[in-house]
Parts: sequence; structure tokens; C-alpha cells
Amino acid sequence: MSALTLERGINEFKAQLDAPMASFFSSCVSCGMCAEACLFYTENPDPRHTPIYKLEPMRRVWEQEYTLVGKLKKALGLGKPVTDAELAEWQELVYNNCSLCGRCSAVCPVGNDITYMIRKMREGMVASGHAPEGLIGASTRAVQIGSPMGVKLPALQAQVKHIEKATGMAVPFDKEGAEYLLMLSSMEIMNYPEYLEAVGKILTNAGKTWTLSTDCFEATNSGIQIGSSDIARELVSRVVNAAEKLKVKTVISPECGHAYTALRWEGPNLIGRPYTFAAKHIVEVLDELRVQGLLQTEGFEEAKLTFHDPCQLVRRGGVIQQPRNLLNLVAKNFVEMSDAGAMNWCCGAGGGVSANEDANEVKMKAFQRKKKQLDELKVDTLVTACANCRIQLEEGLEENEMDLPVVGLTEMIAEHLVEREDKGGAS
Amino acid sequence: MIMSDTDFRKELEQLSLVQQRRVGAVFVRNVLALTADPAVAKVVDVAANAEEAGEDELALAFKNAKAAALESHTRCGADSDWQAQAGYFVARAASALVAPAKQAKAPAWEAAANARMARTCGMIESADATMHEESEAQYRFLEQFLNDI
Amino acid sequence: MNEVDFLLWVKGPAFTFAAVVFIAGVALRLFEILSLGRKQNFAVPKGNPMQGGLREIWRRSLPVDKPTFQRSLFTIVGGYVFHIGLFVVILLLGAHIALIRSVIGFGWPNLPTPLVDAFAVITMLALLAVLAHRLRHPVKRFLSTPTDYVVWGATFLPLLTGYMAYHHLLLSPQLMLALHILSVEFLLVIFPFTKLMHTFTLFLSRWYNGASMGMRGVKS
Repeated sequence: MSALTLERGINEFKAQLDAPMASFFSSCVSCGMCAEACLFYTENPDPRHTPIYKLEPMRRVWEQEYTLVGKLKKALGLGKPVTDAELAEWQELVYNNCSLCGRCSAVCPVGNDITYMIRKMREGMVASGHAPEGLIGASTRAVQIGSPMGVKLPALQAQVKHIEKATGMAVPFDKEGAEYLLMLSSMEIMNYPEYLEAVGKILTNAGKTWTLSTDCFEATNSGIQIGSSDIARELVSRVVNAAEKLKVKTVISPECGHAYTALRWEGPNLIGRPYTFAAKHIVEVLDELRVQGLLQTEGFEEAKLTFHDPCQLVRRGGVIQQPRNLLNLVAKNFVEMSDAGAMNWCCGAGGGVSANEDANEVKMKAFQRKKKQLDELKVDTLVTACANCRIQLEEGLEENEMDLPVVGLTEMIAEHLVEREDKGGAS
Repeated sequence: MIMSDTDFRKELEQLSLVQQRRVGAVFVRNVLALTADPAVAKVVDVAANAEEAGEDELALAFKNAKAAALESHTRCGADSDWQAQAGYFVARAASALVAPAKQAKAPAWEAAANARMARTCGMIESADATMHEESEAQYRFLEQFLNDI
Repeated sequence: MNEVDFLLWVKGPAFTFAAVVFIAGVALRLFEILSLGRKQNFAVPKGNPMQGGLREIWRRSLPVDKPTFQRSLFTIVGGYVFHIGLFVVILLLGAHIALIRSVIGFGWPNLPTPLVDAFAVITMLALLAVLAHRLRHPVKRFLSTPTDYVVWGATFLPLLTGYMAYHHLLLSPQLMLALHILSVEFLLVIFPFTKLMHTFTLFLSRWYNGASMGMRGVKS
């Protein structure tokens, strides 16, 4: 691979510019409403954090290359060329101060999908050598080892052995023709092994066939976060190959936000064809089981609890009602946060922010938005469906001395599971 | 003699909360060497003396244990260090023991499971018999405890 | 050149020029945008992209999200007032409709001129208010370029000159009318090459964004 240079970066910007982007740049009237929608601005009000401003270098490339006036200005030497120093300065805006949460895209009065634009701009940032170290490390490990956190298969196998011993349930690997291929995030393998146990229990109890794959167990996609389609394509291809090899009907994306975006929305476009299987988030699968009567629960949580919507599930994924259906199965005192659902505020650490050490300070500032939402509610338990949100929430709560347990939705459901007599051909 | 997790869990369920905390402390002490955080040992001491521990003392211990777990977890996208990760599971085991009564569903079992996980971490890349050794040890600890009470 | 010649020139060659630049410019700009194309989407849609696109074209004109409305209250209210005002003044004034009829062959009923006059005043006040807000608001001031202020002036001048011509202020009505038409011509000429283009492209933008939301099954 040739060296990462300004020239490559600008060429990548040009390659990324499409009709929607040109339309968005043409439509912006600098009304500033995107700033008010962005927690990196509201909690840290520097005008440079305004979402549309994060696109400024790319806007100039668009203007200079793809508009008559811009071309004229450039020919006359009036256009200000984009420099390497400028992109270096923008790294902080494009990565540390954006979690690709999509709130700006949801409020823009002229309809600009700013998140879509920033995702594309990151491609040029990578090509010009201005991506953060932390994300480069995660992406390199993801490509070379198969996990952004360097988790290898034996680690998963070890966790599986624990689960099999503790539950007596078989956790199958490489079972051809299974209905579900279960994908995980490294976060779950390292920090929350109870997730795998919970999903296994629920699927087995529902009489469904399911499997893990020894070829590929990682659903997260650092390529999407850093903004490299090449890396993203490589990572998603591994999932696709594993799924097609095992001839599964559905691949289950784990409790992770961006993994869902990667697998569900970007994946088919990265490989240039539709899948031969369905891709669903675990919460979607659980809700389907509920509807089919295969997921029955008993008892209720006593605590007053609320649900933190992961951005990629609601705003960028349309998974809004399902977690609520599931929570209502097991909770009598479930209350909604202000702005819950499609307009919920980000935890502050999505879109690669958590893997980017340069963003450690700003992500805690951004958490103040969540703190305000939680302070209004005074709940006893916070439920979510994304391991990355969960870590950020736990860290933020701890730093702000708020005593509130954070629980994964799938685990909570598993704790109330009613054992079914007829489990069919489950293994 | 306890031979399986089914028996193990059944026995644990019979115990009172205080007893669960005490026997759980024994489980966690067996893997305490895997954490570098001295605060965790103090948490385990509180659990071991659960009979005398006051509400305030338990609450403080729980807070400290949670802080220790948070400090030692691996962040999304960070490189994994399984040796350090063992400390995370030890802290989680300890925090299960001192969790408030309404949150504590099966403190001793949770402590046992996390302690095993901690033991496995050191050998994670070459999964072997460590898990069994740890659970066998836990069975014997529980038998001893049941004899003593 | 006397006042009459000036008015004739403004109404004749200058107007033709401005109209040609406007139409050709808008066409060129839309071509520049659309010719960039976009990639085929292979993801299986959850909802209907077409429905989502149409929905957002409509919905983004409404302050549907209450907290967003509260946070950007001034921007939204000010924006409503001057956009509605511009719509009324440009398209519902008798004299404007007569002009339109003479160009395209048909027209529509007008509002009473004094009423439109009141709208013009409100619109100018709203434009002054949003300008003041732009100069004071940290984000807006930071984002604004010199062109943004030129665009503001180009929008304000036709209102002001039209108002002054109607009320016979300062200059002879004839000369003021000529200046009014000239200011509109300036607006038309810069229109395609500035943010005034949002008048057209916002439909495209809302469509693209809404289609993406529709595809993903997101309804906010």
C-alpha cells in the first residue's frame, strides 16, 4: 500500500462525493440547529463542534472540484486549497467529537444527513493519514487477529467451556444448517461473558438451532468506525463467508450498535451484493421469539428501570419498539427517558470514540447529557442493548458518583425465562 | 460429595445471604493473587465477616468493588491483556458478594463463576484443565463450609 | 439615461439576462449535483424508501420534535415568519401575479395589497431579527461567511425597495421601482451560486435522508 498522503486523502474525498453529499452541501443554510442536536456541542459548546463544520475541508474539495464557481475560483487562484495541517486539525473534530449518533441528521431542517457525510469524510481522513492511533490499532488487530481487542478463538472456547459446565447446555460450534449463526463482540467475550450464556439459554429453550463459528465470531467492525471501506469489507466478508459456509438462515448481530450498522446496512454494499441470509440484531430476534410464543417469562423486576437506546439501533436502524416490548415482559416499573426512542441522546462513546484514547476527556463531558436525562428520572436500574454503551454508561456513572447498575437487556430477559417442555430438536 | 455444578448450586441456594457471602469470600480468596488491586482484598474481608458487617460497611465495600472492576475492565477496541483481565473478574466476583440484598440474586454462585473466569484468564490462549481445578477446589471449599456450620 | 430609460432597461434586457442566468444556473447546479450519482443499495430494506423520502420532505417543514423546537426556538420561529412572509409577498401580491401572468400566461388570485404590505413589514422585521441573531449566536456567527451576509442583503433589498416604491418614499416611485426590479435581478443572478439554492436542493436533501430513514424503518 502506498503511503498515506494529502493527495490520497483528497482523491478519496472526491471518490466519496456523491449526489446526496453535493445536495447536502448545497442545502446547508448555517442555521446551527445541528449544533444544538449534538451532545459534543451541547456539553462542550465550542462552535467548532457544530456537526456541519466538521465537514468543512471536504466541502471545499466538493466546491473546488464539482461546482462551476469553485472551479473558476480555483483557476483564478482564489480557492483556498485543503492542506495537510488542516486535516490534522480536523482529526479531533471528525473522530473525537463525533460518535456518528445521527441526531444532527434527524433535526436538520433542510434534510441533510450529516452523519452519512462524516462517515464518508472519515474515508479521506484514513487515506490522508489522519485517523487516531487508537482506531488504527483496533483496526489492525481486527484484520490481523480477527478481533479489535485481539481476542482469539481459544478465549471464546474457554468461555464456552465455562458456560457449558455451569449450565449443562451445549454451545455448538460450526453446526451446518443451523437456523441462527450467533456473532459476538469482543467486549462481550472479555467483559460480559453472561451475554453468550443468556442468548444460548433463550435460543435453546425456544427450540431453535443455533451455532457459533470457529472461522469468525467477531461482529464488530472497526473499518466502519475508522472509515475504511477496505477494512470494513474484509471484516464483513468474514462474517458472510462463515454464514454462507454454514448455510444459516439468520446471522444474529450482538448487543452492539455499530456492528448492526456494519452487518445490516453497510455489509451488502461493501461486498457488492445482497446476502443469502438475513441479518438481525439480537433484540429483533428476541422480539420475534416473543411474538411466536417461544419466549415466555415469569416474574417481574422490582426496580424502577429505564432503557438507554443505542443510537445505531434506533436512529440508524429502526429497532425502536422491540426492546420496549421485551422490557414490558419483565418490568412493571419501566419509565422512559426524555427524548427516548428515535431521538435519544448518545452515551457519548459510539462511532469509534471509545476506542480512541484521544477522546477520553471529551467522552466524559459528552456523558453529562446522559447524566441529565438520568437525574430527571431517578431510576434504580439502567438497561441497554449495546456492550459499548454499557461500558461508557458504567464509567460515566462511576465518575459522576451515581450508584446505578447497568444491565444488558438480553441477560435481563434470560433471568426471567420460563423453561419450555417442548424444545423440539434443540441441541 | 459435591460432583457437579448442579449439586454445587443447589447447596449454595440453601444457604442464607450471610452464609453465601462468607463461603463466596472463600472462593474469591483462592484467586485473590490474580488481582493487583489491594482494595479487592478488603472487600472480601467485609464479605467474610458478613455477620458483623453493617449496612454502611457493605455499601462502601460494594462501591469500592465496582470501582475496582471498572478500573480493570478492557475498553472497547483496546488491546486485550488477559493477565490484567483476571483482575477484572476477581473484582466482579468480590462485588457480587457485597451487592445490596435486592440486587444479590445468587452472590456465592456469581462469585464462584467469576473466580473461575479469573483463573482461566491466565491461560486463556491455551484453554485447559484450570477451570475444572478451580471448580473442584470450590466444591471442596463448600463441603468444608457446610461441615463447619 | 433618464429614469424612464433606466426602468425600461431594467425591465427589458437586464431582466432577460437575470432570468436566463437564474434558469440556466439552477439547471447547471442541479446537473452538477445529480450527475455525481450514487451507488446502488444492496441492503434489504425494512421499510419503504419512497414513503420515507416523501414523508421527510413534508415533515421537515414542521416542528415535530418538541425538545428540538425548544432548543432552537428563535431560529425556527424566525425562519417560519420570514419564509412565510416571502412566500406571501412574492407570490400573492397583485402586481407580481400580473407580471407572472404576462410571462407564463396564467396567474392566480391575489391578496389585498395593504395586507401584503403588512406581510412585507413583518418579513423585514423578521429578517432583521434573524440577522441580529446570526451576529450574536456563537455558532451562527462562527459558521457564517461573507457570502451569507450578501445573501441576506440580496433577500432584504427587494423587500425594502418594493416597500419604499409602494409608499413613495425617498425617491420617485418610478426610480424606486426600477431599483426594486434591479435588486430582484441581483437576487436571481446570485441565486444559483449561493445558499439561496437551498430553495430547490432541500427537496433533494430531504428526499435522500428520508429515503435512507424509510429504508431502515426509522420514523422519528
